Amino acid sequence: MNSLEGFVTGPMVYLAIAVFTVVTAYKVHAIMNMPRHLRWDLYPVPHQGPEGSKYQKVDFYKLPKQFSLTHELKEMGEEIFFIKRAFLNNRKIWRGSYLLHLGFYIGTAWLALLVAGAVMEIAGVRVSAAGGLASLIYYLTIAAGVASFVFGLAGTLWLFHLRVHDEEMQAVSDAVSYMNLGLMLLLFGTGFAAWLFADPTFALLRAQVAGLLTFTAVPVQDSLIAWQMFWFSVFLLYLPFSRMMHFAAKYFFYHNIMWDDEPLKAGSDMEKDITGYLSYSVEWSARHIKHRGNWAEQVASRPEREVDKK
Amino acid sequence: MKKRVRLSEFGAAEKVLTPLSYSDLAPLPGEDTSQKQFKPVRPELWEKYDYSLDGFSALNLPIPKTPEEEAAIVNSFLAGLEKLFKKENNWAFLQPTVLSTEYCMQCNTCNEACPVYEASGRQDIYRPNFRSELLRRIYRRYFTPAGRLLGKWAGADVELNWRVVYRLAELSWRCSLCRRCASTCPIGVDNALLARELRKLFSMEMGIAPDAVHKSGTINHMITGSSTGMTRAAFLDNIEFIEDLIEEKIGRRIKIPVDKKGADIMLLHNAGEYMAWPENPAAFAILFDAAGIDYTLSSEAMGYEGVNYGVWYDDVQYARIALAQVQAAKNLGVRKIVVGECGHATKGLVTIADRLCVGDFAIPRESCLPLLEQITLSGAIKFDPMKNNFPVTMHDPCNMVRLMGIINPQRNVLKHILPPGQFREMPNAGTNNYCCGGGSGFAIMNSQNFPEWRNNLASRKKAQQVLEAFKDVLDPSIPKYYCAPCSNCKGAARDALMHHYGFRDKYNIIYGGLVELMVNAMIDVPHPFITWEDEF
Repeated sequence: MNSLEGFVTGPMVYLAIAVFTVVTAYKVHAIMNMPRHLRWDLYPVPHQGPEGSKYQKVDFYKLPKQFSLTHELKEMGEEIFFIKRAFLNNRKIWRGSYLLHLGFYIGTAWLALLVAGAVMEIAGVRVSAAGGLASLIYYLTIAAGVASFVFGLAGTLWLFHLRVHDEEMQAVSDAVSYMNLGLMLLLFGTGFAAWLFADPTFALLRAQVAGLLTFTAVPVQDSLIAWQMFWFSVFLLYLPFSRMMHFAAKYFFYHNIMWDDEPLKAGSDMEKDITGYLSYSVEWSARHIKHRGNWAEQVASRPEREVDKK
Repeated sequence: MKKRVRLSEFGAAEKVLTPLSYSDLAPLPGEDTSQKQFKPVRPELWEKYDYSLDGFSALNLPIPKTPEEEAAIVNSFLAGLEKLFKKENNWAFLQPTVLSTEYCMQCNTCNEACPVYEASGRQDIYRPNFRSELLRRIYRRYFTPAGRLLGKWAGADVELNWRVVYRLAELSWRCSLCRRCASTCPIGVDNALLARELRKLFSMEMGIAPDAVHKSGTINHMITGSSTGMTRAAFLDNIEFIEDLIEEKIGRRIKIPVDKKGADIMLLHNAGEYMAWPENPAAFAILFDAAGIDYTLSSEAMGYEGVNYGVWYDDVQYARIALAQVQAAKNLGVRKIVVGECGHATKGLVTIADRLCVGDFAIPRESCLPLLEQITLSGAIKFDPMKNNFPVTMHDPCNMVRLMGIINPQRNVLKHILPPGQFREMPNAGTNNYCCGGGSGFAIMNSQNFPEWRNNLASRKKAQQVLEAFKDVLDPSIPKYYCAPCSNCKGAARDALMHHYGFRDKYNIIYGGLVELMVNAMIDVPHPFITWEDEF
């Protein structure tokens, strides 16, 4: 094993996992800690259930809080697992996007299976076709890995095709969109190539995972394994800095904006927070803004007739 | 012909980036555009104002004359852009703005939802994500290390010049903020919000906004008490006129309560109703009187005006007006505010203001539609549906339907006041409905050649929907009613559907609110309240 392969299959993977975890957590934390915004609901709001918006009732503010977990989970499930909105509104993109997302979902399960298999190997249970739980892990790992690579590649290629050949898609696509797709091609492509040419049962990769879990350097049997792990690490390193972080941000789009119908209650934390925001000093420069006044002062002030102002 | 415009060339020194022609527009049934042309702009105006986006002007932006003026425009824009992403200046919408700026996947799903994009013949500049992408790429280019360092390789390929700024300002006023695009985005990216954030930047930093919305709108509102310029004395005169109108219409006088302390409800109308459609507040007065509702109007400055144009473009102006409206209710000691038939006023005061009304400003506020439903279903008023024996379709105002979820009350009212078979839904009714074309200020923006753009592009999809709803009864011998329970939507109906597209003359379609239909069906009202000849 040369030193570069040793770096790629060891320290680089640890680094990628650490960066991914820390930056993702930081970004999510930053989103969560932004100021509460004014209401910007978009209907229907699923957790309001079949009765729909409370605004449809006289004295709606006296009604108990509506929260149908079933309806919310159903809508979330349809969006997460089937990308419902794209299916309904943009079938062309959905075909590629859905395959690509399937690639990621199944790929995540594949990683979990690899880790599970590696833990079993460390515990002395050989993961093979011989029977029992180990054989289930063995076969599921192969099935999930292959499905992930195939779906991921198919979805990526379809989206590439659209961005290159569809005029409307070309018009909006920036260089980053192409680079993101290129990176996913390398991610799924090297995985697929490694499986096809070097590691048909994922035994070699499982051994690498076991090595990572036990902080032991494992010799790389085939450079395709190193390439596969290299692009996986690059992807992880890049992911939280990219727009693909929507996998986490999407939660906030839905729950904190479109579906956020939480009313302000007297004495609530929300009221305290917003009262605090009213002391922020406003820097906007237009003439109708009170110079350096805070939000409370802005609201209490009245602009002069602008034509009278020098 | 569709004009392909690359985002990176948005600031190109072309006279007009996307010139429009009638032949580009999505066709309407029965419309002959073969000989039509947009009215040319007078040469002296070309010299003075910027029309370089699409040949139209919503903002009357004067063309800079010196390099210093050009630089000042760019610098002022950059200063505003930086402030847009600071919590001190934009806490009220920071989270939605940041998320929608950072996480668009450029899938174009939003495009198909946009009525303006579709009506324009799919011109690039009207794609909902076009203006958002400009914002994103400019922000990355000037405010992120990756953008500064890597340029287009970091998705930061728009270089600023004054044309980019001015075209972007105009472009922010080519979206009606209907948020239909946001409701289809798989991620939840809200291009309409970003259009509003751009408007905010231009207004709050650069003082750029349409005169009708700002100077004659919110500024006038705060100085005179109403965006219409109606003072307290004029308001009281109007109330007297409406009492006369009621007497003329129903044969008895009703005293409209004004400044009644301790009333249950403060009713807040869009003041445009008093001026343009007085039969609407008259119908409310008749219904509330007949149903025994304990209510009052306020004669306090800003308390008799329900509009809040700040909703469309400026957070400071918005907050000033919203809290002044609530203050008027506080002064009267009412239990709650009910907003009349006005979409943006309802959303502005009920939903968006919810988290502004802290402390003793937390007076309940609600739409009139549930109350109208309650009055109808309570049996307090007897209706004869046969008095409304004509086809009716219902327009769903975006602000009350897609943005507040108020869908059923108005339909339940119609079920009780129309004979069977006379109500017909438009295609895409409910939360999937299309904007009337007057949303976000368009209905009141009548300067320069903007109305021509509005009527032809923003209202075109609504015109298609109306024709589709009435397709089996288009014969002009059959009178038809387009029910729009929103003042701005009625304004768009008047200017676009009736005057521009000629629906009244061609198809005998009239428009009006919901309460007029209710009063028209009242057994106790001896004569038709809706008189076809007088409408609009």
